[in-house]
Amino acid sequence: MMKLKTMMLSVAGAAAAMACAVPAAADDAVYGNSFRAGSYAVFYHTSATDLAGPYVPAGVNFKAQDLETLYVGYVRRLTSMFDVELALGYPPLSKVEGRGPATVGSVPYNGQIVSSARWLSPTLFLEYKFLPESSKLRPFIGAGVNYTAFYGRESTAQGNAGLGGPTRLSLTSSVGPAATAGVGYAVSGHWHVYTSYSISRVNSDITADTAGVERTAHIKFGPQAWVLSVGYSF
Amino acid sequence: MTILKPLGIVLACVLIAACGRSSDTSTASNTTAPGTLAEDPPFRIASLDAAALGAALGTSTSGAELLAITGVPACGVDFYYIKFWTVGALPTETTESSGALMVPTGGAGCTGPRPVVLYAHGTNTNKALNIADITDSTNTEGALIAAMFAAQGYIVVAPNYAGYDISTLGYHPFLNAAQQSGEMMNILTAARTALPHTLSASTSDNGQLFVTGYSEGGHVALATLRALQAARATVTAAAPMSGPYALEAFGDALFFGSVDLGSTEFAPLLTTSYQHAYGNIYEATTDIYSPTYANGIDTLLPSTTPIDTLFATGLLPATALFDSTTPVVPGQPALTNALAEPDDPANPDTPLFRLGFGAPYLIVNDYRVSYAADAVADPDGAVPTPQAGVPLAAKAPTQTLRNAFYVNDLRNGSWAPTVPTLLCGGGQDPTVFFAVNTQTMADFWPAQVAAKLITVLDVDATPSGPFEKIQAGFIASQAALLEYYESAAGGGLSLPQAQAQLVEGYHTAVAPFCSLAARSFFNQLSSGPQ
Repeated sequence: MMKLKTMMLSVAGAAAAMACAVPAAADDAVYGNSFRAGSYAVFYHTSATDLAGPYVPAGVNFKAQDLETLYVGYVRRLTSMFDVELALGYPPLSKVEGRGPATVGSVPYNGQIVSSARWLSPTLFLEYKFLPESSKLRPFIGAGVNYTAFYGRESTAQGNAGLGGPTRLSLTSSVGPAATAGVGYAVSGHWHVYTSYSISRVNSDITADTAGVERTAHIKFGPQAWVLSVGYSF
Repeated sequence: MTILKPLGIVLACVLIAACGRSSDTSTASNTTAPGTLAEDPPFRIASLDAAALGAALGTSTSGAELLAITGVPACGVDFYYIKFWTVGALPTETTESSGALMVPTGGAGCTGPRPVVLYAHGTNTNKALNIADITDSTNTEGALIAAMFAAQGYIVVAPNYAGYDISTLGYHPFLNAAQQSGEMMNILTAARTALPHTLSASTSDNGQLFVTGYSEGGHVALATLRALQAARATVTAAAPMSGPYALEAFGDALFFGSVDLGSTEFAPLLTTSYQHAYGNIYEATTDIYSPTYANGIDTLLPSTTPIDTLFATGLLPATALFDSTTPVVPGQPALTNALAEPDDPANPDTPLFRLGFGAPYLIVNDYRVSYAADAVADPDGAVPTPQAGVPLAAKAPTQTLRNAFYVNDLRNGSWAPTVPTLLCGGGQDPTVFFAVNTQTMADFWPAQVAAKLITVLDVDATPSGPFEKIQAGFIASQAALLEYYESAAGGGLSLPQAQAQLVEGYHTAVAPFCSLAARSFFNQLSSGPQ
C-alpha cells in the first residue's frame, strides 16, 4: 500500500509541478489526440469455483492479490462531448493466493502464493464528458469492452508442492463489459490530470496440468481500477 | 491514420512486455522401452507428515487396528503415482502401467539414503485399483504398506499391474511369473529414475533392495527374486507372503476337490491370463465354463463393477466352482471317487471345500476330468499324495491349463534363493493353502532351510522363536475377532457362524502380521530403519 501511495503522490506532484512550470495554452484550444500515463490501482474481487479434478481435497480455492501498475492510455476526441479511450496497463504480475484448507495433505496452502500470471488487459471506452469544452473540470462517464489474456503463467514452488509437482497453467482469454467514471482537470495548455474509477468483468477457465493430471476451475474477476494520470493533448 | 499511428505506439509498448509462457510440467517419455518412466517427474498424490498420516489412518476402525500392528508412523510419506512402460504376456504387448512410489520424509531416519521395498499386491478384482492413492479409503493394501514400510523409513515401490488403472492391456497377466516379475523390475527401474526428480529428493536410494508381496503378490515376489537373481541384480532379502508358489500342486489340490475360498474369482483371471500368454487354454470359453457363465467371462475380471455385484447379478457364482453332480469317469472308479464332493467328517476343512460345489456352477465336469486325468498320469510330487523326498512338480503335463500351472510353478527353473528369504503365511489359510504352497517350497529347498537362508513362518502356529510375539499377536487377534462376532456389536452370531466368519476373513487377517514379520526380518539386514 505504501508503494501505491507513493505512486499516487508522484503523479499528483508531477501534475502540480506542470501547472506551475508549463506556459498556459489558449483556453479554447481543442486537440484531437491525447496520451495519458499514470498509476493503476487494481482490486480484483476474485470469485472462483473450487479446484476440481483428481486428488484435490474439498474446498481448494484461490484469489488474486490486488496490485498497482503503470497506466497508459490513448484518447481520441470524437466530438466536444464524446471521446474514445483505449486504456492499457503495463501487464501486471498478478499473484494468486491459495484459499481454503490450511494444508493440502501436510503442505501449507491457505494464504500461500501458489501462482502468478501477467494480464494483458486493454479496455476500449466510449466516454461522455459533461460541461462545456472550455471548462477546466470535466467529469465523464464511459462504457466499453475489456479483453483480457493471461501469459507468463507460473506455478510457484509452493503451488507445485500443493498440486503435486511442476504444473503447467492455462487460462482462457476473456471478453467482457466495462464501465468507467472520472473527472479531468485542465492544468494548462496541453496538460491535464485525470482520475477515474473503472470496473470490468473477466471470466476465465483455468486448467492446471501436473504430470498429466488435470484440475480445473472457473474464475470470475470483477476488477475495479482506480486511475490517477497525467495527460498530454496534441 | 491519425488515430492508428499513436494507437500503434501504445500497443507496441504493451506487447513488447507480453512475451511470456507458462511454467512447464513433467516430460512424457519419447520411448516405450520397458522400464522407462512415462512421466518425469511423477505426480505426487499426497504429502503427509508422520502426524497427519497417523491421524488419517486412525480415523477408521480398520486403520486404527492397522496402526496397532504397524506402530505409530515415525516418518511422513510422499505418495507418488508412477507411470511406466512394460509389456504384457507377449513381447509385442507394449503397455503403459502404473503404481506407487512412497518416499519417507521427515527428520533423521527418514531422509537421506534409504533402502527400497519392492512390493507386489494381492489379487484385486477392482480394475481401477491405484495402490498409490492413499486418499482412497478402499485402498487398504496401500495403507498397509505405507504404514508398515514407508512410515518406518523404507522407500516403497509397488505396481498396480498391467491390466489395471491406466494400462490399456485388455487383460491382467495373473500369476504369469515371467510377465509379473518383469513388470516388477520395470517399475523398480522407473522409480529409481524418478526418485531424484521428485519433490522429496532429500531421500535417496541406498542400494539395498527388499522384495515382498502378499497372496498373488507373494507369488510375484518370489518370481521377482528368481528374475533378479538371474539378472545378477542386487537383492538384500525377500519375504514372499501367503503366495500360491507351487501353482501346479495348488491347481491339482483344487481340481481334486480342495476348493479354496475365492476360487471363482481366481479361475477366470487364470484362464484369461494363460489364454493370452499361451493361446491354448480353450478354443471357446464353453470348453471350460458352464453355459451359465461362459459368455463374456474372458473379459470379466478385473472389473470396475464390484465383485459382490458380479455375484448378485449372476455373472459369477460366489463359491460354486464345480458341479455338485460330480463326474463319473467310465472304468476309473478311483478317479470318480477322487472327484466326488468332499464328505469326510473327520476333515475340518470339509465344510469349506463343499462350498466349492453347487449349481449353477462355474467349471464343467468334462474339463475337470481332463485336468484330473493328466494329474493322475503325471502326478505332482506334493498333491494329492506327497511323495517321499523333495516334492517335485510333474514331469511334462499335457493338459494345457495344468501345463500353464507347471510353467508358472516356482519350483521350475532349477533355482533357489541365494539371499535371506522369509516365507510367511497362516497355517489355516482357506484361500491360499499354506501346506500346499509355503510348506511345499520349504520342502523343495531343504538345504537352504537347514542353512537358515530360508525361514518359514506360520503366524498361526504355537508362538516360539524370533517371531513369537507376532504369532501370539495374530492368535490373540483371531480370538478377539471371534469374541466380537459372537457379541451383540458384532452381530451376535452363533459359534459356528462366528467361526465361518473368521475363516472368510482369515487370508486378509494374516497380511498385516506377515508384513510385520517381513519388516522385522528386513530390519535385521537393513542399514536403514532399525
